[in-house]
Amino acid sequence: MKAALTVWDGRMAPVFDVSREALVLTIEDGAITSRSIESIETPMAQLKLERLTELGIQTLVCGAITEPLQHELSVRGVNVIGFVAGEVDEVVKSLLDGTLPTRALSMPGCCGRQNRFRGGRGRGGRRGGGRGRKERP
Amino acid sequence: MTRRSNTEKPTCTRDPINVVTDAILESISDGVFTVDQDWHVRSFNRAAELITGIPREEAIGRRCSDVFRASMCESECALKHTMESGAPVINKATFIVNSNGKRLPISVSTALLRDEHGAVVGGAETFRDLSVIEELRTQVKGRFQVGDIVSRSASMRRLLEVLPRIADSESTILLQGETGTGKELMARAIHGLSGRRDGPFVAVNCGALPDTLLESELFGYKAGAFTGATKDKPGRFALARGGTLLLDEIGEISQALQVRLLRVLQERQYEPLGAVRTEEADVRVIAATNRDLADRVEEGAFRQDLYYRIKVMKLDLPPLRRRREDIPLLIQHFVDSFNAIQNKRVTGVSADVLGVLTAHDYPGNVRELQNIIEHAFMLVRDGQIELEHLPVEIVPVTVARLEGRKLVETMNAIEARAIREAIERNGGNRLAAARELGMHKSTLFRKVKLLGIDLPEQDGRSHAEKRTKTSGRKPG
Repeated sequence: MKAALTVWDGRMAPVFDVSREALVLTIEDGAITSRSIESIETPMAQLKLERLTELGIQTLVCGAITEPLQHELSVRGVNVIGFVAGEVDEVVKSLLDGTLPTRALSMPGCCGRQNRFRGGRGRGGRRGGGRGRKERP
Repeated sequence: MTRRSNTEKPTCTRDPINVVTDAILESISDGVFTVDQDWHVRSFNRAAELITGIPREEAIGRRCSDVFRASMCESECALKHTMESGAPVINKATFIVNSNGKRLPISVSTALLRDEHGAVVGGAETFRDLSVIEELRTQVKGRFQVGDIVSRSASMRRLLEVLPRIADSESTILLQGETGTGKELMARAIHGLSGRRDGPFVAVNCGALPDTLLESELFGYKAGAFTGATKDKPGRFALARGGTLLLDEIGEISQALQVRLLRVLQERQYEPLGAVRTEEADVRVIAATNRDLADRVEEGAFRQDLYYRIKVMKLDLPPLRRRREDIPLLIQHFVDSFNAIQNKRVTGVSADVLGVLTAHDYPGNVRELQNIIEHAFMLVRDGQIELEHLPVEIVPVTVARLEGRKLVETMNAIEARAIREAIERNGGNRLAAARELGMHKSTLFRKVKLLGIDLPEQDGRSHAEKRTKTSGRKPG
């Protein structure tokens, strides 16, 4: 799996729409096999989606993200875990453990919201708060 | 119920002045928060809770960028600027992303916080929600906006006015218009106004995929359906369940796929490749094309039954050259958008640039205009967009044409052209042309005379009237 985390100064970047760098990880069997920092700075937010597609990203972990961009990514089959905050190392660890999204690494006011952002599949009939997913500590 | 004070104070005690300050902060409509020197939020007033959607209890103690989530946090933090320079920032425009993923335009002001000895202990930021002002500005400008479509032209206005009623129904819609006229934006606007707005909006470009791929893209497949299909893949019909599916460039699909699509639209059911069970197609379909589908039907390239099935409601989007009055409005719209996205302070375009852009023919329509402004934004930081910031391919020809002319002459030439085209579009009917241009008929005649415009010999109105009168005299 190829995942991108939008980062800024050792932490998760606050807003995906204007983020400039992504930590790109290739994860196989729960372990990181490659890691690189990639520029995702684009003149328009929409072009970031093209850049992520170009990088072959399947999972995006990011800070706040506006609804249209999140939706577009879902349609493109990218699993979006949005409104994540905290130190990058902690977020990477949580991603590898499979515990994202988690309350401890959520932006304030967004607890539970991440679940609405999962993937492009099965959205119909499952809107409004991620029913069916376990709340993690 | 006792409510927690909005201020946690390492530097303050609960004296009467602080109580009054708290009360004032709670009563104002601007959001206010303060941070310590480690960028942790120390206070968060009621308006800040309302605007951001974040309860105070969750905000206090967290890093301000995780709470505020402004477009400027990463690159041009206003508080950082104030804390480093001591200078306040006043009314800087930016946007934040609230807890619902909504983009809110705001203006931000900052100030230093000092203790009783004058030492800096943190910063304060006040912010104002500008969404209402933006809305009012829209109304004052007299433009009409639905979704992301902005217009003041009569033809678009008529279209946008009926949109809510069209959106309410579940009928299939056909959007016809040249490339770049905003078919996808229109489809998104219909989706946003419809009862399916909480469901997904999914767009497929039917012209971009070969037939076999398009079929699996639309309907999905089951594991084992063909070599390499190792697991189930949902199609766009499944992804759009409960929402809207836009089939762009519908005129390009093969006859075989047309048959399959017709069946789906009629029976509201489909089968993924390799599936043994049918699935319900719970989607509202909007089809779009830049071709004239009626012509394609006559050529035998498009099935007539499918054509009638998708054109239950047909909307024709006018090209930008037929609604030139929208060009200044669209320019300002794109300038505002790029300013917000790129944190720039471009004020607009110069009169010369406006002349060039209004005269251009835009084969690529609104998308082309957007690209031109985006190109200019790469070259300009603030102030106005000048001729040298425009792409060379549109400037040389136009500038050569304008060379030696005064601005008034340029504007006259543009005005004459707009009038001539409006009269042509209305089959020579001067009154209809005046109505479309938003001017009185006598103004139109005055301008025709003043600008020396040659009118077609046939007046559409008198011709039509003559016909009506003639037919009226016929015996029953």
